[in-house]
Amino acid sequence: MIVSATGREQTRARYADEEGFAERDGVRVFYEVYGDAPTTLLLYPTEPISNSRLWKAQVPYLSRHFRVVTFDPRGNGRSDRPTTGDGYAWWDFVEDGHAVLEATGTREALVGGLCDGGGWALALAATRPAEVLGVAAIAPFVPRLTPSHPNYRLFPGLEPLETDEGWAKCNTHYWRRDWRGFLEFFFAQQIPEPHSTKQIEDCVLYGLEGRAEPSILSAEGAPPAWETEEEARAMCARVRCPVLVIHGDLDNCQTRERARAVAELTGGTLVTLEGSGHLPQARHPVKVNGLLKEFAHEVAPPAPKVRTWTRALSRRRRALYVSSPIGLGHARRDVAIAQELRRLHPDLEIDWLAQHPVTVVLEAEGERIHPASALLANESVHIECESAEHDLHAFQAIRRMDEILVANFMLFLDVVREENYDLWIGDEAWEVDYFLHENPELKSAAYVWLTDFVGWLPMENGGDREQFLTADYNAEMIEHIARFPRIRDRAVFVGNPDDVVPDRFGSELPGIRDWTEQHYDFAGYVTGFEPVADREKLRRELGYGPLEQVCIVTVGGSGVGGHLLRRVIEAFPQAKAHVPELRMVVVAGPRIDPATLPEHNGLDIHPYVHELYRHLAACDLAVVQGGLTTSMELTANRRPFLYFPLRHHFEQNFHVRHRLERYGAGRRMDFETDGPAEIAAAIGEEIGREVDYLPVETDGAARAAKLIAELL
Amino acid sequence: MALHVAPTREQTRARYPEASGFVERDGVRVFYEVYGAGEPTFLLLPTWSIIHSRQWKAQIPFLAREHRVVTFDGRGSGRSDRPTAPEAYDELQFALDALAVLDATNTTRAVVVGYSLGAPRGLILAVEHPERVTGAVFIGPAYSGGGEPLPERVMAWEDELDTDEGWAKYNRHYWLRDYRGFLDFFFGKLFREPHSTKQIEDCVGWGLETTPETLIAAHHGAKPEPDEARELAERVRCPVLVLQGADDAIASHTRGRALAEHTGGDLVLLAGAGHAPHARDPVFFNLLLRDFARRLA
Repeated sequence: MIVSATGREQTRARYADEEGFAERDGVRVFYEVYGDAPTTLLLYPTEPISNSRLWKAQVPYLSRHFRVVTFDPRGNGRSDRPTTGDGYAWWDFVEDGHAVLEATGTREALVGGLCDGGGWALALAATRPAEVLGVAAIAPFVPRLTPSHPNYRLFPGLEPLETDEGWAKCNTHYWRRDWRGFLEFFFAQQIPEPHSTKQIEDCVLYGLEGRAEPSILSAEGAPPAWETEEEARAMCARVRCPVLVIHGDLDNCQTRERARAVAELTGGTLVTLEGSGHLPQARHPVKVNGLLKEFAHEVAPPAPKVRTWTRALSRRRRALYVSSPIGLGHARRDVAIAQELRRLHPDLEIDWLAQHPVTVVLEAEGERIHPASALLANESVHIECESAEHDLHAFQAIRRMDEILVANFMLFLDVVREENYDLWIGDEAWEVDYFLHENPELKSAAYVWLTDFVGWLPMENGGDREQFLTADYNAEMIEHIARFPRIRDRAVFVGNPDDVVPDRFGSELPGIRDWTEQHYDFAGYVTGFEPVADREKLRRELGYGPLEQVCIVTVGGSGVGGHLLRRVIEAFPQAKAHVPELRMVVVAGPRIDPATLPEHNGLDIHPYVHELYRHLAACDLAVVQGGLTTSMELTANRRPFLYFPLRHHFEQNFHVRHRLERYGAGRRMDFETDGPAEIAAAIGEEIGREVDYLPVETDGAARAAKLIAELL
Repeated sequence: MALHVAPTREQTRARYPEASGFVERDGVRVFYEVYGAGEPTFLLLPTWSIIHSRQWKAQIPFLAREHRVVTFDGRGSGRSDRPTAPEAYDELQFALDALAVLDATNTTRAVVVGYSLGAPRGLILAVEHPERVTGAVFIGPAYSGGGEPLPERVMAWEDELDTDEGWAKYNRHYWLRDYRGFLDFFFGKLFREPHSTKQIEDCVGWGLETTPETLIAAHHGAKPEPDEARELAERVRCPVLVLQGADDAIASHTRGRALAEHTGGDLVLLAGAGHAPHARDPVFFNLLLRDFARRLA
């Protein structure tokens, strides 16, 4: 079993503005409407093995330019599941699309579809030409138009077979026995591109949601579209509107002859995607999004507009800084690097594409936040949705952020196409780095990648599957860099070679440290602040008395840390007994409501503290999560601290821990076993202790800026 | 001192026409060229007769790889005749020449591209013969139907002035006295962009192929009054694209903005660009033209 269905949908990048049901002959079909642009794009689903989520990489982008309508097919998603084969007639799906147009008050639309959906879209255009402006058909299935793909020579497999091997799984008897087994086989065939684990998992989940019955009923008794090739050709020939056909040459479902025939008979354009399988909208979303938008704008030109192009030598020197929003960690170091960059290039203008909570820091620093930032899908909210009690499976959380990443990359692309930047800087901007390597022709500026860790690592309890997945992600990254070394003009590791973990990328893959030393420059650590010279003076400024023992409790910028805050607050009375001068200062952060935390005498609770690093520099002890930024700030300021790595968080448990152990910094705690009593005891032992950490360099931002500035 | 040396012979072209010829109307012969094949056809209109169809030299070889391209020298320039009667230079005559060239080259319809004074003649063609014009592109349009004149250009053209400085050179007496001096001045203003020596030299060379007397006659040709120009613009039904240099020192950028607004067309502003971006920023403009044509197809 390769998929662990969590039972709940991952965070979407964009939620529908309107939803409802269209009803035909007692069958209700669930639709969603996104955006309110003048031109409507109706996206057909495909057969009940899947649902409207198959368009998740398209909807957030296209709905910024068009009004997008999707619907679940009868038999999956939130649509009804007819209980007889008659309920799954080919023409019923076609007409369901029309019913959705009517229910959503859509007079005319561009219509898109994949596989069966492509055929349904064409049939709608053929039968209701006044309502269809154009058809974009991906790997269209038009029954009987051409011989079926050899894989389907037994389809629909209604007779029991002696084997379950390979395409013999395309058989209703096997479906009844092992629907999941079929789905896993089938979608691995449909997405044959390497490194497609997430897309395959998604499709299997869509199939499980529909269950086997609709597909069985459909295979056994659905009325066909027509009986002959002539009828199929006649239907295509009736299509009068512009047609775009997209087809992958590795498609294991629809043949290239069929795609070509559809294009020829409709007078349409055929775009072949080499190296692509049957589901390019999921595996090559950036390319498909571009094709769909371009086609839609050709068919329905957008309203007149004014735009500006600036002659090359008239351009101001500009950089776009994309700062990862997961936690607050990157914001301060990125501001410090930006300031050093401006020191080297005083004429440089820097725009930030960033979201809450990074924008809190940027606004306080007076940085210019690009207005398109408001359109970014929020990653912090997603991370909070993925977390449990002091628990964040960071690797899976990033994987399950795929929809948000592609949506945010498309926004980035719109921004850099509209405005000319000399330089793009991405601090752990996963979407920028990944999709530039997937679409290298889109790189049109110098590009710098920054990170403080290299390598996805499996958690011990993740088993073989997680070992395989992390290695697969690492392998894709290694292949990206090897094949397209021109994408990253600089790769900057925020740290030193000794900070890189000693592990391998995977059992068959290189050692992480060797590879990182070959492919990165090292800036040293970037704290983003000047070290505190006079700590006593700082304490007075911050209002901490000379005899007070100040303990700062902070969980960074995300909302994941509420459980740790509560547990430390619970330890407060006991700790106070150990340390009578104890003053505990709890910083909830911008994403946790302080009003939800319990109160005690002698305990201060703040929602957000500007320049928190100054408080950390002044304190006698800090209690923190295992995030890199805060723990390294404490290390740099030589303060004792307790840190609790989040459970299942590979970065905190491996990468950060490795680095802190190298510095000899901090006392690692375990949320699993350390309760209030253990915490109180540790506070008593650690508070005010003199430490012997390795020193942290103070020129990291300047070194990073120098590496970047050479590109300007 | 003459800054620019007029070439004695035309420089090598990147592409030569497949066909060329003359159309004749009321005894005036107009020279045209035809390049390439493929729909839609581009008709690249003449502008003020101070230069001729070589102004499109950076567009023709590119466009002709996928499209049929028709150009012609405006009456008073290039290989076309130089009538002496002012009425021969009415805007309507240029529009009728364009129509005659379309007929002579068997061009049913075309995307019409007009630079500067190409705008009024292009508007007349698009409005009077909408069936022949599938789309219209205007660059730095000499459009009087909206926007403001440049304040420094309100010097009298007809009167003897007591100075030759600046726009005082835009004066018939100065033209007759020092035509070359006028060309150097005018094309220096036309290309505001630094490092434009070659583009300026080209234009000066083309300007020397005609005479100040011809330009004086052309100056008297009838042009649409502001309200007529606006009415023409508002009657255009085909897709329109206006390309306008934001630093245009020949025609105010407000003219281009107004034309886009009045035709309901797209406007592309070029920051840092002067009056002839098709010559100075040909790559950007060529791609824009191609995209415009593809959208029409």
